[in-house]
Amino acid sequence: MKRYDLVVIGAGPAGMTAAIYGVRANLKVLLLEKLAPGGQIINTKEIENYPGVGKIDGAELAYKMFEHVQELGVEFDYRTVTKIENKDELKYIYTEEDDTVIEALTVIVATGTRPRTLGIPGEEEYKGSAISWCAICDGAKYRDKDVVIIGGGNSAVDEGTYLASIVKSLTIITDFDLTADPVSADYLRSLPNVTVHPYKRVVEFIGENGQLTGVKFVDKETGENEQVVQCDGVFEYIGAVPATEFLQGTNIINDYGFIETNERMATKIPGIFGAGDCISKHLRQVVTATSDGAIAAQEAAAYIKSLRNQKQLTGGAI
Amino acid sequence: MIKEIVKEEFATDLAEGAVLVDFYSKTCGPCKMLDFILKDIDKTYGEQVKIIKVDFEAYPDLIEKYNVEGYPTLVMFKDGKEISRKSGLQQKPVITKMIEEAI
Repeated sequence: MKRYDLVVIGAGPAGMTAAIYGVRANLKVLLLEKLAPGGQIINTKEIENYPGVGKIDGAELAYKMFEHVQELGVEFDYRTVTKIENKDELKYIYTEEDDTVIEALTVIVATGTRPRTLGIPGEEEYKGSAISWCAICDGAKYRDKDVVIIGGGNSAVDEGTYLASIVKSLTIITDFDLTADPVSADYLRSLPNVTVHPYKRVVEFIGENGQLTGVKFVDKETGENEQVVQCDGVFEYIGAVPATEFLQGTNIINDYGFIETNERMATKIPGIFGAGDCISKHLRQVVTATSDGAIAAQEAAAYIKSLRNQKQLTGGAI
Repeated sequence: MIKEIVKEEFATDLAEGAVLVDFYSKTCGPCKMLDFILKDIDKTYGEQVKIIKVDFEAYPDLIEKYNVEGYPTLVMFKDGKEISRKSGLQQKPVITKMIEEAI
């Protein structure tokens, strides 16, 4: 069984920063990621508010962060964590890939979020074929076709602006109005091929012979005034849910699945910390994620030091 | 072995052995991160699998020919025949499985 001082779960900005700070605090660090380094920022076309780098492509920023992690010699592995067991001072990390159990003195959970889904009829059937969450990845197949966006926040408006430049018609259905920054929202609304249906609720994806043909929606408040918009594809941008399923049953997540931490990123379980978008907080940005990661790693180092000091006093060893 | 497509050599490259084709776009974040995973995979498989990258915007004829609808799209060929395909950013073990089935 391999033992580490610190295992960081998730290689987004929070996790990568935690790994950097962990190694620089002389900890033996393992960074785990189930997909690829970067987290949600790889889907962000432009980041304009991360100090010092001006305007940067999200994937490029992620790549630079990962290069930094690699330069410091952080051990990295592709793994999907299924469970963390807490026994005395040690944490045991189980993963989907094999029976290997990873042992750690401290764990930082920085698994971020994944897109929220609607859970309505037709969604499962057309997910991946006609329902997508990435306009830059899947928008090209809808050139000169009819497309619907569900949602009205920043992601919906940013991706909608891109889609509007290639599709025939773009219909936006949102349960409020466009809540993105007013300049971007007004620009999108002004485009000739864009229609916005505010204060509506999508209730069904409709199709024929395995092909999506439209989206059914109603008035949000009354559930009445049923309408159908014909379309070839749908993009959903209705927020995100924390990727913390493996923590179900522990006392460190709230009812929505977000990890509850204090200002030092510590959870109710000593030695387990949270950082980044998966924790309960108000502002989810790259800059707040990296801040969380730095604090969590420093606190992990301090926790290990206190453990070792205690063991010296009592004659044990960790 | 990873290489960018050379169109004149593409048919010959596909004809023999295990060939993983990565249809990508320079503007797509997930494509860039997939590239990172492919480089990692290349270290393990070396000459056992050819990984050929095809720029989505530069080769619309190939995109149409192979019916690629979004990017990144990975298509695994064995001796010229398509044996599997995955769209979107994939986990490393998923790509490894595609390769294992072809070599």
